[in-house]
Amino acid sequence: MTLILVVDDDQDLAEMLGIVLTSSGFDVDLVSRGDEALEVFRNNPPDLVLLDVMLPGIDGIEVCRLIRKESMVPIVMLSAKGETQDIVRGLEAGADDYMQKPFRDKAELIARIRTRLRRTNADVTGLLSIGDITIDVTAHEVRRGTTLIQLTRLEFDLLVALAKDPGRVFTRDALLSEVWGYRQTTDTRLVNVHVQRLRSKVEHDADRPEIVMTVRGVGYKAGGTA
Amino acid sequence: MNRLQRSLKHSLATRVILSTLLLSLSVVTLTGSALYSRLTDGILATSLDSSLAEARYTFFNAEYQLLATQGMSVDDRKIALAEFVVSTSTQGINEERREVIFVKTPGGTPTKNSYEMSSNVIKNSSIPKGLRQQVQKTGKVQYAYGLALYNNGIRIESLFVGQRINIPAGGRYEIYIVFSLKNQTATMDLIKNSLLITGIALVLLIGLITWLVVRQVVRPVREAARIANQFTQGDFAQRMKVVSTDEMATLATSYNEMALSIEQQITRLEHLSRVQQRFVSDVTHELRTPLTTLRMASEVIHNQRDSFDPLIARSSELLVAQLDRFERLLEDLLEVSRFDAEVAVLEPVDFDVITLIKRCANDFDLASNFATPEIQVLSDQEVVTINADIRRVERIMRNLLSNALDHAEGKQIVVRVVATDTEVGIGVRDYGAGLDESALIRVFDRFWRADPSRARVRGGTGLGLSIALEDARLHNGELDAWGRPEQGAHFVLTLPRRAGELINSRPIKATPEDFHQEIFYQ
Repeated sequence: MTLILVVDDDQDLAEMLGIVLTSSGFDVDLVSRGDEALEVFRNNPPDLVLLDVMLPGIDGIEVCRLIRKESMVPIVMLSAKGETQDIVRGLEAGADDYMQKPFRDKAELIARIRTRLRRTNADVTGLLSIGDITIDVTAHEVRRGTTLIQLTRLEFDLLVALAKDPGRVFTRDALLSEVWGYRQTTDTRLVNVHVQRLRSKVEHDADRPEIVMTVRGVGYKAGGTA
Repeated sequence: MNRLQRSLKHSLATRVILSTLLLSLSVVTLTGSALYSRLTDGILATSLDSSLAEARYTFFNAEYQLLATQGMSVDDRKIALAEFVVSTSTQGINEERREVIFVKTPGGTPTKNSYEMSSNVIKNSSIPKGLRQQVQKTGKVQYAYGLALYNNGIRIESLFVGQRINIPAGGRYEIYIVFSLKNQTATMDLIKNSLLITGIALVLLIGLITWLVVRQVVRPVREAARIANQFTQGDFAQRMKVVSTDEMATLATSYNEMALSIEQQITRLEHLSRVQQRFVSDVTHELRTPLTTLRMASEVIHNQRDSFDPLIARSSELLVAQLDRFERLLEDLLEVSRFDAEVAVLEPVDFDVITLIKRCANDFDLASNFATPEIQVLSDQEVVTINADIRRVERIMRNLLSNALDHAEGKQIVVRVVATDTEVGIGVRDYGAGLDESALIRVFDRFWRADPSRARVRGGTGLGLSIALEDARLHNGELDAWGRPEQGAHFVLTLPRRAGELINSRPIKATPEDFHQEIFYQ
């Protein structure tokens, strides 16, 4: 069974989320305080974390940062504020995706969770490379030479999406649909923030990228093989 | 010249200094010239008396000498006359000159011999004409001032004194004594120059003093203006310095009190606005969490509706629909409050506006399940890339299309895109019920509805168009509305192609091209 850790201070919403997730076939752990979340996370490591931003104890963004320090587990932030800076702060703290309350519908929530749990590039196997980076898709490993680079599942998926089609320029919308599983949205902040995070891990110099190249006014593409 | 005019117009100091200079210049000129004429009159008067006395004596002497020549030969008489001229005139061209001229009075009996003579090559023609006439008319001693001309080109300011004289057997002559005024002229020149220099120095000094005085007044005024200007530009901490207890200090004190009062008011209003903003943000946050729970719960119920009693099933449908509406209203209210608090920010990216419009139109075509009018998108260009906040532009388009669909009465909707190098115009035209003049004025008002009795088919929040207008203005763009009853409406969005720039023209006019005025007059 897939275990989902739900961290939300609103008891009723947490319970409702529990009902919806359970009925969709997930196991659910409920936590209502930020400072308790980490302990529950360590005792019973989940497959995905649903994390509210506003929490008693320590806030959701800090919880996200702490979890990211010790795990590459997918994290989806739940935000009621919808202000740009909150969303960007959450993504920068290491969240893979965010959902704004109220969710459009239950199906959307489940779809997002499934996308984050599924291997998005199930059709790709073997070895890929961009520049001096080698990606072992099967083993889920990224290396520069012999050095292993730690990537979250989402960052890995983003890199694979670019690497498997080296000539293609991906628009932000295309990446949103391929990596995040969005059918249609115009929120490109997700892509921008994650490309920055990915660059900080795989590039020699994040200000002069060679692996994930920007195509001005269009989107991104894989850098040439060095 | 233009600089002076501008300076006169804008600088109090320049104006005061210039007018003071002009006034003091005229006063100094008047007093100076009066003084000069008084002084010269005095100098000339003293020398005149002595010169006249001397002349009278000489004339008498001349008459006496001529009497003595009676019976002499012409040549002897000439010699005697010459001796007289030489003895009475000064020798050489020195300072205190005195010349003697004998000149024949014109008319009378012509004589063979001429006794005309003069001392020291002085020209006869230098005797003023008026003086000669007076001398010829009367028997008395006459005088006049004039320039004595010499054959060698020297000219000397002089006093001419003349009288008629008879030369025996020679006819009527006039005798003139010319007194040089060289000394007096030098004195008068000295006086003139002194007066001129004193006058100029006086005027300049007055100008300097005025400048110093004006500066004392103008400098604090300029300082006050500078501080008021900085205050206007938002530096509310600026205050004027109070250093004395004069009128300027009173002005400064009053100004500072005003500034303090304004600053307090602004702080209070800012605080209120912040409180209000935080309140709206908190309310929305507090409402969103229960709304999320509600929506999920209603969906769980809704998904089971097949097993319900028809009334409960319908109720669950209504519940879901109204929760949708409630959510849209909440989002729109939050957006409006962001505009009111002026915290809405533009996040521009490059995108193709045609693709965006087609996607929006397509969504509406898919979403509507009854009497769908076709949305037609027309453009000369296949791709129109603009730099704008895509989320806001999409929201404007959705609001405009949703509004058009609500009022199109099932007829076609045409979206036209016209781009110039700097602007893009997007016109949404419907051919439905249209709008009258009074409706056009209010069409962007919040919660305003064209016809309150009309069914709310699409369930708009009543905030869509006013948010669209705010979104357009945030881009420095504009949203214009046109409408005629029964002839449909036309909403035109004009945006700059690059975010941050201004729009200079409207690629699409608000009055649609397919509208002709004559239809209106039928």
